Amino acid sequence: MKCPLCGLEFREQDGLEGCKGCALSGTCSLIKCPNCGYEVPKEPGLIKFIRSLKRQKEIKK
Amino acid sequence: MALLSLGKKEESCRCHGNTGEKTEGLQKVVLVGSPNVGKSVVFGYLTGRYVTVSNYPGTTVDVTRGKGKLGDKEFEIIDTPGMYSLLPITEEERVARSILLDENPAVVVQVVDAKNIERMLHMTLQLMEAEAPLVLVLNLMDEAERLGMKVDTGQLERELGIPVVATVATEGRGMDLLKEAVIRHEKKRGGIVKYDKVLESAVQRIQEKLKGEYRISKRAIALFLLQDDPDIRSLVRKQMKEDYRSLEEIIGETKNRYGQPLNYIVTLARQREILEIIKKVTVSSPEETMDFRERLSRLMMHPLAGVPILLLIIYSFYEFVGVFGAQISVNFLEETVFGKYINPFVTGIVISIIPWKVWQNLFVHDYGIITLGIRYAIAIILPVVTTFFIAFSIIEDSGYLPRLAMFIDRLFKKIGLNGRAVIPIVLGFGCDTMATMVTRTLETKRERIIATFLLALAVPCSAQIGVILALLAGNVGALWIFISVMAMIFLFTGYLAAKIVPGEKPLFFMEVPPLRWPKLSNVFTKTYTRVEWYFKEVLPLFVLASILIWAGKLTGLFDLLTNALSYPAALIGLPKEAATAFLYGFFRRDFGAAGLYDLKTAGLLNGIPLVVSVVTLALFMPCIAQFSITIKERGWKMALGMAAFIFPFAFFVGYLLNFVLNGLGIAL
Repeated sequence: MKCPLCGLEFREQDGLEGCKGCALSGTCSLIKCPNCGYEVPKEPGLIKFIRSLKRQKEIKK
Repeated sequence: MALLSLGKKEESCRCHGNTGEKTEGLQKVVLVGSPNVGKSVVFGYLTGRYVTVSNYPGTTVDVTRGKGKLGDKEFEIIDTPGMYSLLPITEEERVARSILLDENPAVVVQVVDAKNIERMLHMTLQLMEAEAPLVLVLNLMDEAERLGMKVDTGQLERELGIPVVATVATEGRGMDLLKEAVIRHEKKRGGIVKYDKVLESAVQRIQEKLKGEYRISKRAIALFLLQDDPDIRSLVRKQMKEDYRSLEEIIGETKNRYGQPLNYIVTLARQREILEIIKKVTVSSPEETMDFRERLSRLMMHPLAGVPILLLIIYSFYEFVGVFGAQISVNFLEETVFGKYINPFVTGIVISIIPWKVWQNLFVHDYGIITLGIRYAIAIILPVVTTFFIAFSIIEDSGYLPRLAMFIDRLFKKIGLNGRAVIPIVLGFGCDTMATMVTRTLETKRERIIATFLLALAVPCSAQIGVILALLAGNVGALWIFISVMAMIFLFTGYLAAKIVPGEKPLFFMEVPPLRWPKLSNVFTKTYTRVEWYFKEVLPLFVLASILIWAGKLTGLFDLLTNALSYPAALIGLPKEAATAFLYGFFRRDFGAAGLYDLKTAGLLNGIPLVVSVVTLALFMPCIAQFSITIKERGWKMALGMAAFIFPFAFFVGYLLNFVLNGLGIAL
């Protein structure tokens, strides 16, 4: 994913790294940019599913 | 020889193509570069069909390897994950650096986006400092040329002292030259950045004391240590053991000589060097080649021109969220769906099942979970935040946010505030609670206090902004009064806080990605993601607030508090029912704003009282969640101190505004 504030591209796992010390990290559904700290919500399952379908189509092509 | 091993080597393979390709004993060519610069296309040209994709040992990061015949010689070609700098932030960058440092490459090919050469040369200089056998590839030359940008590759080659190749990888342009450059590559030392005396002396002293063997230059190791790189620090500590203390002393001493982090000092020196190089190698000046997008981008960040642009954006938000979201959608959901169907239907069922009025009140009537909590969440908040998030996603996808950060930074500097606080402040327009947590990333205590205070007082969150725009819908004059008052308070209190809280004023810098047209699919994805996240978070809290209000009603506590709040509310010219909305606002700011919306639709709040109540609520105490995070981050004393200021201040401003507007005879 790409941070809308600083433009850094990072993986969801990297975004969760910065939240380790936070008391809300277990239930919070936000991802924090490891560079600037900007937070975006995690992609819902439906969007991930649509993306994976698109990717499969591209691979088949 | 000691290796810079940052991960164990074990095979965890997810392979494409022929997995039996043997690459042992071959010289390695490692491709590095930022994401989206065409690195994989270059990799495809160098390798051909058979490649292996496997997880880097101990991680879940994919690394692609292949075999390529360049001239008569075969090489193992490795495509590393995207990296922006040799100082890693993400795991992908860490893996890319490990490959670079562990695998002893014969040639390192750095692929850069030619049109963003200024930004990309930072890593080039880092690689040169590390004495990597480097070839620089200026890819996407066609895009740079389209922008009227010309790069003199020969001159760049002379300036850097390394081979430079211009390519358009998607068309295969320049790929033969690249292959040639890789085959003929001879390791030679390129020019390096000269830092100021203090830093150069520290680097020199560290280099002299450094023991052990490393696969990169000692100068680069020294610079990594000075910039607090944890991986390099543990590597050196492992080799030097007790002797490492002498290096720690030099590092600590050097840090104390500067007001800013050493990473910033190093980056600034590199930036100066890069600007010198760019001046010599770009044929046409950026002013001449500046296209409409670049001009607009600069105007957005300009301290004066940025103001009307920001106001225009706010006005567009107001029209979209206030008129379409709040008037059309909310009216339909509240009056038709809930007013005519859901509320009467549910109330009928609850009354027929539960004979006790006390328990009926928990679900229906004035403060019931369904008739208040769920109605607020679905009929008022949902359409407003959905339209707000659509508009916000468009802004986010266009690249305006970093420009807004730069614009606010310039304003901040004018009033003596530091610019780094821009990030939590901009985040606060999304969610103040989360933004309060982000203030911990600020370097000094002074910065943290000012940012937390401004977030608690003068930065309304996204949901609150949405409902405020809805409340002020159809009254443009009221909107401008609201914006002016909030901006004045923000600047005035920020200025005062910066004066009262002493300390350093650190500088702020951030990379600004290019301005672009928002993509419909991105806007849809972002809006859907945010609405789902918001709804999941807000619905249970609205239900909980209804339960607490019900319990407060039962115990009489709710009436006691609303009575107490009705006096300051009356003092600023508001109906006593507005006190209830303020009490809601403490549960969640948007819940309070929804309460005001209810009063407006009931005809109890219009004109001046409406603007006064909106300003007061926007300044009023932060919600419970933000308040508890403020306690956690800044401590009880500071949080209570802020509350003790904010609560009377909000009502004082409301009183003053009511007095001035009435005194001037302004009709809204």
